[in-house]
Amino acid sequence: MQFTRWMKVLGLALVLTLVIPMATAFAQDGGEVEPLVLPEVDPLSVTGDIAIAGSSTVEPITVAMAARFNDDGFSGNITVAETGTGAGFERFCGEGSTDINNASRPVKDSELENCAAIGRENVLEFRVGTDAITIVVNKENDFVTELKRSDLIKIFTGEVKAWNEVNPEWPAEAIQLYTPGTDSGTFTFFGEAVLGTKGIYKEEEARTDALLAAEPTVSENDNTLVEGVLGSPYAIGYFGFAYYLANQDNLTAIAVANDVSYDEAENIVVVPEEEWTATESPIEYIVPDEETAEAGTYMLSRPLFIYSDASILAEKPQVAAYINYYLTNADEVVTEVGYFPVSTDVLNASKQAWLDAVGVEAAQ
Amino acid sequence: MASPSALFAVVFLGLVLGLNGALSIPMVAAKRGYSPKLGMSAGFAAGFAGTWLSALLIWQIASDGAGVIGSVVGGWSALAALRRLIPPREPQQNTLPEGSALHRNVQARHLRGGLTRVLFIASVVVALVSLATLVWTIVNKTVGYTATQYAIEPEDLTINGEPTGRGIDALSKNELALVLADGVRVARLRVFVLEEVVNANQDEFADLSPKPIKDVLRGQHYPAGLAELPFNKLDANQVASVLEANLSEAELKTMVMDEIVQPQLVKGWSLWESLTHKEDIEKTMHEDFPKARLEWHSWLNWRFVTSALDPRSPDATGLRPALIGSLMIIVFTILVAFPIGVGAAIYLEEYASDNAFNRLIQTNINNLAGVPSIIYGMLGLAIFVRSLESLTSGNAFGTSTANGRTIASAAFTLALLILPLIIINAQEAIRAVPSSLRQASYGLGATQWQTIWNHVLPYSLPGILTGTILAISRAIGETAPLILVGAATYLTQDPKGLFSNFTALPMIIYRWTTYPQAEFRNAAAAAIVVLLVLLLSLNSIAIVLRNRFSRRLS
Amino acid sequence: MDILIQQKSSLLAGVRSEELVLRKRFRRGEAFIQGFLFFCGFVTIFTTLAIVFVLGRESLLLITSEYVDGSGNVHTVDVLDFVNTTHWQPHRYELGVAPLVAATTLSSAIAMLVAIPLGLGSAVYLSEYASPRVRNTVKPILEVLAGVPTVVYGFFALQFMTPLLKDMFGMHTVETFNLASAGVVMGIMILPLVASMSEDALSAVPRALREASYGLGSTKLETTIRVVLPASVSGIIAAFIIAISRAIGETMIMAIAAGARPNLTANPFESAWTMTGYIASISGGDLGYDTLDYNSIFVVGLLLFAMTFILNVFSRAVVAHFREVYD
Repeated sequence: MQFTRWMKVLGLALVLTLVIPMATAFAQDGGEVEPLVLPEVDPLSVTGDIAIAGSSTVEPITVAMAARFNDDGFSGNITVAETGTGAGFERFCGEGSTDINNASRPVKDSELENCAAIGRENVLEFRVGTDAITIVVNKENDFVTELKRSDLIKIFTGEVKAWNEVNPEWPAEAIQLYTPGTDSGTFTFFGEAVLGTKGIYKEEEARTDALLAAEPTVSENDNTLVEGVLGSPYAIGYFGFAYYLANQDNLTAIAVANDVSYDEAENIVVVPEEEWTATESPIEYIVPDEETAEAGTYMLSRPLFIYSDASILAEKPQVAAYINYYLTNADEVVTEVGYFPVSTDVLNASKQAWLDAVGVEAAQ
Repeated sequence: MASPSALFAVVFLGLVLGLNGALSIPMVAAKRGYSPKLGMSAGFAAGFAGTWLSALLIWQIASDGAGVIGSVVGGWSALAALRRLIPPREPQQNTLPEGSALHRNVQARHLRGGLTRVLFIASVVVALVSLATLVWTIVNKTVGYTATQYAIEPEDLTINGEPTGRGIDALSKNELALVLADGVRVARLRVFVLEEVVNANQDEFADLSPKPIKDVLRGQHYPAGLAELPFNKLDANQVASVLEANLSEAELKTMVMDEIVQPQLVKGWSLWESLTHKEDIEKTMHEDFPKARLEWHSWLNWRFVTSALDPRSPDATGLRPALIGSLMIIVFTILVAFPIGVGAAIYLEEYASDNAFNRLIQTNINNLAGVPSIIYGMLGLAIFVRSLESLTSGNAFGTSTANGRTIASAAFTLALLILPLIIINAQEAIRAVPSSLRQASYGLGATQWQTIWNHVLPYSLPGILTGTILAISRAIGETAPLILVGAATYLTQDPKGLFSNFTALPMIIYRWTTYPQAEFRNAAAAAIVVLLVLLLSLNSIAIVLRNRFSRRLS
Repeated sequence: MDILIQQKSSLLAGVRSEELVLRKRFRRGEAFIQGFLFFCGFVTIFTTLAIVFVLGRESLLLITSEYVDGSGNVHTVDVLDFVNTTHWQPHRYELGVAPLVAATTLSSAIAMLVAIPLGLGSAVYLSEYASPRVRNTVKPILEVLAGVPTVVYGFFALQFMTPLLKDMFGMHTVETFNLASAGVVMGIMILPLVASMSEDALSAVPRALREASYGLGSTKLETTIRVVLPASVSGIIAAFIIAISRAIGETMIMAIAAGARPNLTANPFESAWTMTGYIASISGGDLGYDTLDYNSIFVVGLLLFAMTFILNVFSRAVVAHFREVYD
């Protein structure tokens, strides 16, 4: 994997907010790394309830995992609420009413402070999978198959209102925007990755502001977004890859080219198309799929997490057992649901975090 | 030229103005000595044609919107012109009409009456057709063809990693067990032993799991060598041998089908498509899913009603937790709302004197009945879910559900919602009690409460019950307050009591309606049928109750 | 037996030892029961107070709170923004409520366009034209229509009405979520309410008035329009107002079929957030405490409550003022 000038720029943008988890995500599979084996869970002997909330992107994994845990004999109740990452952390750290939070972005410092204030001082992060935020249009839309990042900025900030303003050959129809709720990790991440984290878009506030300026249809429910895009050839939206996969008969995933760089004053500079190949690693349109998401070449790939706290694991053995089960089966279920598994290294780090919190040794 | 919506608007307005002409011109025609029927036709033609022509004309020079407005003006002018332009055939009289003039006048008025009558009937018909369409939309989604495909073809089943290469029917009992050992997770197989062989309850799982086989499988068959082994240490082949020893071949075969072969739904068709487009369906089957089988499938079936939620696939999901949630909410709602509602009605009808405060209560109840349900949801969110969280979550009573989004919160919220309805209905029922009954009771020296308890309440009970049940049917269908109170998206278990997190039927319907996989709409339709059946049976209970009580009283 | 025979030998001198006391006596049980019943009546007052308090307090919080964003800037909300601005984006501290109110108004207007003519037409037919047999069949069916949960109507809007509108006006003219579909279906939902309330008002007009009109040679239509309708106009207008209030407060159809974006538009084929739709979709993705989102739904709720409350009071006033009394 080569890092060109442009990829470095992108890398920098991502690293600014997602330092450690992303860095490990992009690490290549060592090949020889042995997967850690956690102590075997016997779901039959686990009792008690588990409350989960958070990201709607991670929700399908958590729900499938819960159903599987139940199939295997767990007799307690797992409730999963789809609230968006932010509101989920509100419940997890503010109210303290959930045991696990699904997150499609890393926890923020302010959220950790809240957690500490209610006695959850040792918040644990488990990386469970990788997602590629997929920008989609209706299959009936026969003019858009690829977009430049600079065009995405124009479209999603409302700078352009009709398709022909992006490309004069495209129809003069209004662009209908569908975007996940502002509480969702998808929204936050999209803002960071597409608008960038420099210059005028340095602050999250500014990014949120810009993304809402176009008055898009906003829904915490990704299904509503799918439904909306399915309804018109002039609609465009974005959500987790799994939702695209479930509807790939009717949706087209857009290939994205990262043609944005910055000058010294942190102003956005658009690289003209004829210069794309001039650099050592050419800019090209990249479609989200397993390969590009795992390698990180697709600019909108991002990590998926579940969060819990050491004190919860100690207090509620069922939560410890569930997370153990989650990590043990993560690869299989994550693939089944339509996301991409993480490398053995990263999963081992998550497993090690579990082992440290519970205070036992790995099985092998 | 025109956009379809503008075209539709012009046709619609043309019809409206045509109708207007047909209603108004006959009178003028009759007055001036023409046949009213002719007037009716001319009026209709003038209204409709005028609208069309002016729209066409204006479209040549201006945009769509102007065309629509112009068409109205044109149609109206055409009618006005016709009214003026009809030349009088007979001199106009200022006296009451006589002779043929009278005849025409009466005929015109009857024409108009008849036409309007058709309109009135039409509006009833539209209402009924809407209901029929509503029912049809739901039924259309509940039955129809579905294509199912195996996750693993029966020929591809493996024993010790080797494909059998035979159909499932060709496998012996022992081979079936080996297939299970090969293709199903061991934890899942252990659950099967507990559920199918030991017939254990979920609550007993945790106790049984670490015990030795001889205790768990007391009285059942098991290989003697395993007697002392803890149950949860059995490996796949051992569990399979236990299953083989205790279950019949047919049971094992079902297990292989459900767990490994797993017929999966790949596509569903509506009833209408299934009935009229059989060829297209078969063609799609042939082209897109050559391995799938076409089946006639009713989405509403016993398995659907009795099995748990499964958000992964629309054909595997059930709605039992939602159904149980709805029923529990309703029971607690009644327990709260019925005594308070009837109490308030008695207070207002029997005790309250006519002072400002009591009038305020009365006005207030009437106003509350008109408050949108979502406002009650917000009230529930702020008070029951947030402020009284320690009570509604059960923490104060030692149970450990950690948040206030429980059956209790939902029930209290819905109770407040239906309280005004119960009170108003109960008041009417109590008001209908003849005052002679009360006077007779007082005359015998009964106290006020004794009169109410022994005479007023029994007499008005049928009315009160009917009103309450109608209010309950409203509560069952309410969704908006539950969204606010926070019904969960997914529950693996049924709600167990007042302090459980919950979901409810209408909530599930709402969720499924917004899922993009088309087949979840079918599941939603089936859930709607369940909800409607629940409502209808409640209403019939109301009728039966009313009849029984009124018989006893008469 | 409730006649009280009391032994009062020592207390009252000069009276016979056995006396019949017929005076109303204070009874603890009765007083307790009356107290409980009064409490029951008071619960309803409490409910109203709680609604006003809860909605008011959270709304006030919105105005008085200072919101600190991620970069440490402090934002406050100006109360005049509600009416002065036309953008509703609480996350951007834009709180012009106009888009929500406009969408609510538009969808309610469409609903009324369907419900009022059809409802009134049905009522007139049932009350003036229909034979008792027809009336006894049709009325219960309409009541069934009224008893169908609104989430079912939402399903109907999305599954039937939206595709129908798309067929009629073109796939691309009509968005998947749109106000027209939601409005028309809401009209169908409210139709039975209008029909049944108007029918009640029409049948309350005494027969004698109709007979007198027929006696003067009027046709049925003329009697209906010139005599019966004017006589029952208060009840009918009240029905209309109640119907409007129902339409404004209807949530599920809007949440399912009308879409989710703040959109100040007059085009019914676009998607837009109504007030109720906003509350439902924002609270669907559960809310943090004291966040701008949480407080903003209460402001919208307060406005909604005020609107429906005024309409309800107004309808009662109409009935009280214009009612013709024939007894």
